[in-house]
Amino acid sequence: MSDFIQYFFNGLVVGCIFAIAAVGISLLYSVLRLVNFAAGDFLTLGAFITYFLSVTLELNFLLSVVVSMIAGMAISWFLELVLWRNLRRNKAGTLALFLVATGVALMLRPIIQFIFGTETRKFNIDILKTYDFLGARIPQTQLLVLIFASASILTIALFIAKARIGKDMRAYANNPGLASVSGINVDRVVLATWLISGALGSLAGVFQGLVQGQFNNAMGESLLLSFFAAVVLGTIGDAYGALAGGLLLGLIMELSQLSIFFGGVPSNYKPVVAFATLVLVLLFKPEGIFGYRARKV
Amino acid sequence: METTKTLNSSVLDVRNISVSFGGVKPVQDVSFTIKENSFTSVIGPNGAGKTSLFNLLSGMNKVSSGEIIFMGEAIHSIHAHKIAQKGLVRTFQGAKVIRRLTVAENLMMAVKGNPGDNLLGFFNPRARKSFEVKAREEAMRRLDQVGLTKFADEYAGILSGGQRKLLDLSRALMADPKMLLLDEPFAGVNPTLVEKLLTVLAALRKEQSITFLLIEHDLETVMNISDRVIVMADGKIIADGLPKSIYENDLVIDAYLGSRRKDS
Amino acid sequence: MEAFIQPGFWIFVLALAGIYGIFSLGLQIQYGVGGIMNFGHVGMMAVSGYTIAVLVIKYEWSFWWAALAGVILAAFLGALLGLTTLRLSGDYFAIASIAFAEIVRYWILNTDNVTGGTQGTLAIPSPNGFASYTDKPDVILTWISDRLYPIIGDEASRDLSMVLIVWPFFGLFIWLSSRLQKTSWARVLRATREDDDVPRSLGKNVFRFRLQTLIIGSVFGGLAGVFWSVQFALLAPEDFLRIVTFYGWMILILAGATRVKGLFVAAIFFGFLYGATRFLEFWPLSLLSSPERAYLRVFLIGLVIVLLMVKRPQGLFGKRQEMILE
Ligand SMILES: Nc1ncnc2c1ncn2[C@@H]1O[C@H](COP(=O)(O)OP(=O)(O)O)[C@@H](O)[C@H]1O
Ligand SMILES: [Mg+2]
Repeated sequence: MSDFIQYFFNGLVVGCIFAIAAVGISLLYSVLRLVNFAAGDFLTLGAFITYFLSVTLELNFLLSVVVSMIAGMAISWFLELVLWRNLRRNKAGTLALFLVATGVALMLRPIIQFIFGTETRKFNIDILKTYDFLGARIPQTQLLVLIFASASILTIALFIAKARIGKDMRAYANNPGLASVSGINVDRVVLATWLISGALGSLAGVFQGLVQGQFNNAMGESLLLSFFAAVVLGTIGDAYGALAGGLLLGLIMELSQLSIFFGGVPSNYKPVVAFATLVLVLLFKPEGIFGYRARKV
Repeated sequence: METTKTLNSSVLDVRNISVSFGGVKPVQDVSFTIKENSFTSVIGPNGAGKTSLFNLLSGMNKVSSGEIIFMGEAIHSIHAHKIAQKGLVRTFQGAKVIRRLTVAENLMMAVKGNPGDNLLGFFNPRARKSFEVKAREEAMRRLDQVGLTKFADEYAGILSGGQRKLLDLSRALMADPKMLLLDEPFAGVNPTLVEKLLTVLAALRKEQSITFLLIEHDLETVMNISDRVIVMADGKIIADGLPKSIYENDLVIDAYLGSRRKDS
Repeated sequence: MEAFIQPGFWIFVLALAGIYGIFSLGLQIQYGVGGIMNFGHVGMMAVSGYTIAVLVIKYEWSFWWAALAGVILAAFLGALLGLTTLRLSGDYFAIASIAFAEIVRYWILNTDNVTGGTQGTLAIPSPNGFASYTDKPDVILTWISDRLYPIIGDEASRDLSMVLIVWPFFGLFIWLSSRLQKTSWARVLRATREDDDVPRSLGKNVFRFRLQTLIIGSVFGGLAGVFWSVQFALLAPEDFLRIVTFYGWMILILAGATRVKGLFVAAIFFGFLYGATRFLEFWPLSLLSSPERAYLRVFLIGLVIVLLMVKRPQGLFGKRQEMILE
């Protein structure tokens, strides 16, 4: 029982982080048909910028997080202006979008390494303090991450549902042609999507860094496929689905370690659980848990 | 003797087919039988389900219920390419051409039984080459028929809308069909060319005994060539008979033709 | 500047170019002909390389049989990938293929008693305690350099012998595959690349065609793995990271996806990029430590990919017209 509570709690924490990263990827896909292969490295970047501000420069931690989110937005905006906009104008195909996103990831990674080095980093936060809950060990940082991440998820969901630009984003994603003739400012929608995904990338990176305790420059990249799994699980292009898919995947990955499942999946195989979930969903329900199978005409 | 004859003379037998996508039901409980070497037109307003019907007949979508029998064989649960191989070949609304193949290549691709389509054929270059030569000859003949000879070695992407329709039709013919399903082959084609196409179709029907099922938006265009017209609206068949009787059918006038006739 | 004029540098560049050229040829057939976006190609190279190492070291097979088994297993893996996920649309297949390669790598990483785990093939348990698998090809390589020594002296290296073996194969494979791309088989595939429905409506079993290309491409991935494993004589999981697939993609889009023969030039460019960021010592490269140069390499590959896709999506040798026909 305490095992279950432990893994369930861990799953919730991890799931929230997946959800936040996945919703950014899913929004980008729904608006731009872009599979953002660079999403993982934006997490790394967010964590390192926060580290630099809060540890090296000894700024307030929350302030550092906010600044790193703004930095994530700024870089996304910059890339939209110099890259993505041109590609859209040239009617770039799927492969071009794939490869450019990958190219950006490949460039971002060395830049991070070059500026921040390859050493393992740690936030200046007490990661040792833990609470005991029905026999499960609940570290304080994880509890805080869970609280802040849930709040973020609620905010995102509300924003997409209620805010003007959120509605425009959904309208544009559903029917780009109709949306652009009905007076929606497409460039603004695209820009908003990039800003949101940039900010969420940084935020998820900080959360992930906190949960891991220590992190290096490979952190985000190694999670990328898990994010894709969450996105596909929750129906690609569906923002709410991505939130749910993220949570669900987090729970699946952690609970798979319970001994009732084949004696428990060893923890170093956790990523494989994510990949396998991805492949299985693609095989049996590629439309995800919320989509219905649109037949090919 | 009599009975076998009537049995044989039905090429396509559609029995109560329906399809649904989520909540949408583009085709609902549709049945009809097509006689050998006949020419049938399907008309109906936009969104009536005509293209959806073709997608079912050609196997591009699977029926939710019902049966489709082509030349005595059930085809509703087999792959689209197998259906085409059996001789039931379709074209597409708006004409699909492969833009980055040349016009001749578009046609040559369609030929049946090409040894070069098979990987093992790679090891028999002689057979491959002689087949290609024949395929090219046939392609040039077809292109001549529709006046596209001078585009043979251009990318199909440069063709105009009307020319693409001609290419699409010729390509379907290259696949040696027993029955052709043509989805709005005349839409957007200029009237003189429509006349010419109609004569080509009539000739094909006579010379190669091909059976035709054709979707058209406008009844007038196909009045003379059709010996039967099926009218669809909202996924159902609302009338089925001789072109003349359709022209005078009140239901059809209400559902579809009414406004048009008043206009003109 | 010295390294530039040293033949040894250029010989390494050529050896690498040949190996990655063959690797890239697999992607070329899959994408350039069939339109399949395979981002897990590195998995095929990993599987064939590791199959060789494991069979020779742990099970004492002869290298040649092990190499054959490696290529067959790569083909088999391609078939498995295709049968399970090739029916998915392009985006989904691309993601699934990455996952596939990552599963392969994780398996290698975590199966220490077979693959040597993180330590690579040196740690494969061997009955005679000798974790090397290149003895057979080494005999040939040495034979070649022995013949060359009297003529060119110290330049007669193992790398040079590799070049002399890999490049004829590279040429042969390019020749075979450009012949293959002139058949009607390839014509059907080029059609599927643009629109599945047309060939399907004409009686072509699109899935069979695409599965065949995927398998052929995987065979080239496997063959590249054979040469790779000989060239470096040691395999480790980090040699088969996701990025290696993009080495192949860079070569392909540099050549132009439909230009088989362009691969010769593009592969040499890649070999140069790789070799230069590894060995060249002149300024400003001399300012960087060796791990830093590895980052520089990754950065440059990313940069080349982005610049190509933005400025010249048809590659060096492709026709602009093919890209813009609508
Ligand atoms: N794959 C599909 N998924 C959902 N709805 C479809 C699909 N195919 C067709 N429909 C719907 O079926 C209806 C009939 O369309 P269609 O067959 O194209 O009509 P027609 O060819 O008579 O103009 C339309 O409302 C269309 O939206
Ligand atoms: Mg239609």
